[in-house]
Amino acid sequence: MDARLRRVNKEIADCKSDKSSRVTIDLVDDNPFHLIGAFDGPEDTPYEGGRFQVDIVIPDNYPFQPVKMKFITKVYHPNISSASGAICLDILKDAWSPVLTLKSTLISLQSLLCSPEPRDPQDAEVAKHYMTSKSSFEKTARYWTMIYAGGPGEDGAGRPGKDAAKDEIAMAGLDRAHVAQFEALGFDRSKVIDVLRRMNYRGANVANINDDRVVEELLK
Amino acid sequence: MSSDYEISDDENEYYDEEDDEMEVDYDDGSASEIEVDAFGDDFKVAVRSERKLYEVDYTSLSQPEIEKIMQTDVDHISGIFGVEPAVAAQLLRHMNWNKERLIEKYMDNASSVAVAAGVELPPREPTPPPPKASSSRLSSTGPQRTTRRTTAENLKSSPKSKRTTPLVEESKEFVCPICFDDTQTEFMSLICEHKFCASCWKEYITSKVRTEAECKIACMAEDCNIVALDPFVEKALGDDRETWTRYQELLVRQFVSCIPHLKFCPYPSCTHTVSCPSAATKSSLITMVPIVTCGASNTHVFCFGCPIDTDHRPVVCAVAKMWLQKCRDDSETANWIKSNTKECSKCQSTIEKNGGCNHMTCKKCKYEFCWVCMGPWTEHGTSWYSCNRYEEKNSVDARDAQTKSRASLERYLHYYNRWANHEQSAKLSMELYTKTEKKMEEMQVTSELTWIQVQFMKKAVDVVFRCRMTLKWTYAMAYYLASGNEKELFEDNQRDLERAVEELSELIEAPIDPETIMTLRQKVTDKTVYVQKRNEIMLEDTAKGYLEGRWKWNVTVEGFDSA
Repeated sequence: MDARLRRVNKEIADCKSDKSSRVTIDLVDDNPFHLIGAFDGPEDTPYEGGRFQVDIVIPDNYPFQPVKMKFITKVYHPNISSASGAICLDILKDAWSPVLTLKSTLISLQSLLCSPEPRDPQDAEVAKHYMTSKSSFEKTARYWTMIYAGGPGEDGAGRPGKDAAKDEIAMAGLDRAHVAQFEALGFDRSKVIDVLRRMNYRGANVANINDDRVVEELLK
Repeated sequence: MSSDYEISDDENEYYDEEDDEMEVDYDDGSASEIEVDAFGDDFKVAVRSERKLYEVDYTSLSQPEIEKIMQTDVDHISGIFGVEPAVAAQLLRHMNWNKERLIEKYMDNASSVAVAAGVELPPREPTPPPPKASSSRLSSTGPQRTTRRTTAENLKSSPKSKRTTPLVEESKEFVCPICFDDTQTEFMSLICEHKFCASCWKEYITSKVRTEAECKIACMAEDCNIVALDPFVEKALGDDRETWTRYQELLVRQFVSCIPHLKFCPYPSCTHTVSCPSAATKSSLITMVPIVTCGASNTHVFCFGCPIDTDHRPVVCAVAKMWLQKCRDDSETANWIKSNTKECSKCQSTIEKNGGCNHMTCKKCKYEFCWVCMGPWTEHGTSWYSCNRYEEKNSVDARDAQTKSRASLERYLHYYNRWANHEQSAKLSMELYTKTEKKMEEMQVTSELTWIQVQFMKKAVDVVFRCRMTLKWTYAMAYYLASGNEKELFEDNQRDLERAVEELSELIEAPIDPETIMTLRQKVTDKTVYVQKRNEIMLEDTAKGYLEGRWKWNVTVEGFDSA
């Protein structure tokens, strides 16, 4: 039997037999080299309560080359691309070792959620958000977890089912008051959200972005 | 072959004094009538006995020769430290083959260097390491010394025979944690004792060497820094000699890249190395152009000092690089601007005419002018289309102003066009080769010359090609040379070489007449010698100029005093 296939089969079987970690690996179709992994968001983080899915592709000379992984579930995290789900993690690149398994790698991803590394970001916007205001970042991350990963969200505010525009604001990690302020000047809401997110606007006195500059950007 | 370079009709031929040594009485108009007997059949100038000023001292080394040098270093370190050669080799690789630094650091703290290099396990704390952990991987039964200081001696004391047989165990219960294949019976481990089956090791090393071009093979265990030494790698690869060869090549490459006076031949799949100690420092590159040829083939010509893999003499690396960069950035744009735009005669704004009539109004200064003659529109009245005021003083002035403002662009294009022309002509020499070959066959038929005797044609083509390369680069040099006497002398040399090359070019392309074949042969042979001589004068003089610090640039060049 092909060594790679044997190893992957064994890994999938091991994962099935281990119920305690709540890490699962499933086949996408009949191809054992394209899998979907899933794990729980770690406790005491904005990702708590969410379930995160990861796309796994086993390369030809696995396990001597690292697996290719990316998040299917959208995650708001400095080291994970909010658009593509690409992950910036050393063990998926040069620090890979053949003794690492799919399960141990997924657990590493889980711990990546616990300890973001904003100085080596995959998603610069998210990282900027994290650096400027950690509490605001966490709020957005929690919101994303609720919307995309089925997390519980914050009590009261922003439960799913409220109107879509509010969701959009929270999704972009913005303050409702800020959006309303520029909307009142007659700009389209989605444009306001887009510009504020791009400029990483956190209020007029944060990071020296004054209102004039925002308006200027909006008028472009 | 022709060039757009115009040879001036100036009667005052300038030759510098080196010229006097030549016995060929060369004169522009009478070149075809010279009777030359001084050189006969020989190309005497081609015989080089001693190094020319523009040549650099270097040696070409094959892979085995480099390996020998590496081995000397390894044996040296192995002797001083009292460690196995394989360990010494890894220590050296870790320190990028800086022997002095390695010795210094090793004497300072042997253990920390050995741990960092991956030849020794990191000390465990706080309990003293179990005997196995601190011993070499080669022997778990050998005499144990508990202090960490003596680890190196342990490595040394292992008998050689054991070195080639890494831990290969028979075990029924143990399953390789990588492939989970319970039929595997052969296991290997490094001194860290992380055991994996032999086939996984082989796969792993092959993958590292083949796909990642990596010659540092770390243990497969997570976070384990121990490095597989050469005997282990060879053993693990087993009968895969191809990968083993590749591994050795990677080791040589790593060594070469660490030593400043060595450079790997950049030609594809060439394994030769050139050693050029005189060009090893950056400061040496302002006084010489270290063009070298590796021993594998005389077509493997490259510059030791920079990544340009052609002969860029007589231009030093820094200037050559600037020129190439400029050509990449500007040539297309400059050509486009030149052919598609004109400048407003009043405010010098660059204007592209993209339609409409010739009555132009400058957007910036509102100056109205005629696109055809550049004169002011007011003088044209309604008969602009005939542009009958062409000789009007105003329009002439306007064109003059235009010319002036274009001077820098024109200047650049002047040099660039000549540069590009020589490059193009040199490229065409491949074609010329085949043509010449035919011609040579033809000659054998139409005359009584033998194959050997018609070689002069091929020789001439070779010389033309080489000199065109020199000429090409002289234009890059001239572009950056500050004007003055030195530049004029340089340009005189350049002109003489260029003229000679063009004349030789013409001769070898001329049709062959059986009647005059002997004269042609004589003429080509003489001209070839002359061209070669001119080329040498050019190169020799520039090389001398570098040594004397004679060349001044019109821009700031890295390494030179600012212009």
